[in-house]
Amino acid sequence: MRRAHRNAHRMLWPALAVLVGLALAMSLVMRAPPPAAPPPPAAEGQR
Amino acid sequence: MSVGFKAVQWNREKYIYDAILLAGVTLYVVAFIAISHRIEPPKDLPEAIDVRIRAFGTCAFFMLTIILSIGPLARLNPWFRKLLFNRRHFGVLTFIIALLHAWFMIEWYEAQGSLPSLLTELTKWSDYGKFIGFPFKVIGFAALLILFLLAATSHDFWLSFLSPPVWKWLHMALYVAYGLVVLHVALGIMQYDSNPLIPIMLAASFALVAVLHVVAGWRERGMDRGTPTGGDGWIAAGAPGAIPDKGAVIVVAPGGERIAVFRDGTEIGALTNLCSHQNGPLGEGRIIDGCITCPWHGWQYRLSDGCAPPPFTEKLATYPVRIRNGVVEVDPRPLPPGTPATIHLPAP
Ligand code: FES
Repeated sequence: MRRAHRNAHRMLWPALAVLVGLALAMSLVMRAPPPAAPPPPAAEGQR
Repeated sequence: MSVGFKAVQWNREKYIYDAILLAGVTLYVVAFIAISHRIEPPKDLPEAIDVRIRAFGTCAFFMLTIILSIGPLARLNPWFRKLLFNRRHFGVLTFIIALLHAWFMIEWYEAQGSLPSLLTELTKWSDYGKFIGFPFKVIGFAALLILFLLAATSHDFWLSFLSPPVWKWLHMALYVAYGLVVLHVALGIMQYDSNPLIPIMLAASFALVAVLHVVAGWRERGMDRGTPTGGDGWIAAGAPGAIPDKGAVIVVAPGGERIAVFRDGTEIGALTNLCSHQNGPLGEGRIIDGCITCPWHGWQYRLSDGCAPPPFTEKLATYPVRIRNGVVEVDPRPLPPGTPATIHLPAP
């Protein structure tokens, strides 16, 4: 790899990594919570 | 090497590399499908196809993660240099696996007779304004397109047609493809499958690639500042024994160009670190069958004069070397390509 490539690589990689990392973090935060467990079946006497 | 584009010669190491690669991929896909069927047997054809989509999708993702990790790993630890060799085949196979992932996705729609709904999904323009809900398949297609471009231009015809520097710039798009794949998974399966393994696998792989690049880049930054020179401008490369036999150490000239100092038994010589094929890092290669062999695709050069063995015609710049006070020193002023410049250590 020539110097110019190395320098471009060093600049491109962190910029891309920050962008993708931010998007990844956002998609994790905005991810829908797992579906709640179904409530336990009601006891006969409570009907 | 420049004869009829037969640049990349097959040798035993390449066959072994490819065999291991193919066996690894087959094993992964078969194991993924078998385990998935055991845990939750598919109830119908679309569910069976869905398992294949996941098997090939995760396989392509891990392959891309490995490809991008090999470079920095090889810089951090010489053991990984053997993985650099033939990385091109690794890349082409990754494209094929990603293509199969996309193919099964289309088959999934077809199996349900709902192929038009794929088109509807991709042309629902209002979704393009959303973050969660963005048509993630489009991101996947974009990544696949880049992988296709890289696989299609991996042949030496394109290298010669585009010239090595342009070719190298083009192939840096692999980083963009990886970023797109991460987003494809994050906005796709991760959003509608609550399996905690998906975000863990995604974040861990991404972090691994990022951290390896940061650490390797940090190390190399120090290297690019240059190797200290003696009073007369010659650069110290260390004691002869510190240069691995049939391997090299890399020193940096004041202008920043790297020089590979090789040792083959008692013979020591220095050449430019840039392979004339695609500027691969020659100093990370080894001496195989008496020739310096580039770690990227196996082009070979004689240590004695930097010339490729006949019938090939490439010549690399060599550098004068000497031994002073038990230390190998290199003159950073290059000699014309193909100039014999090695020295021999006195017999022990
Ligand atoms: S053989 Fe391809 S870069 Fe050296």
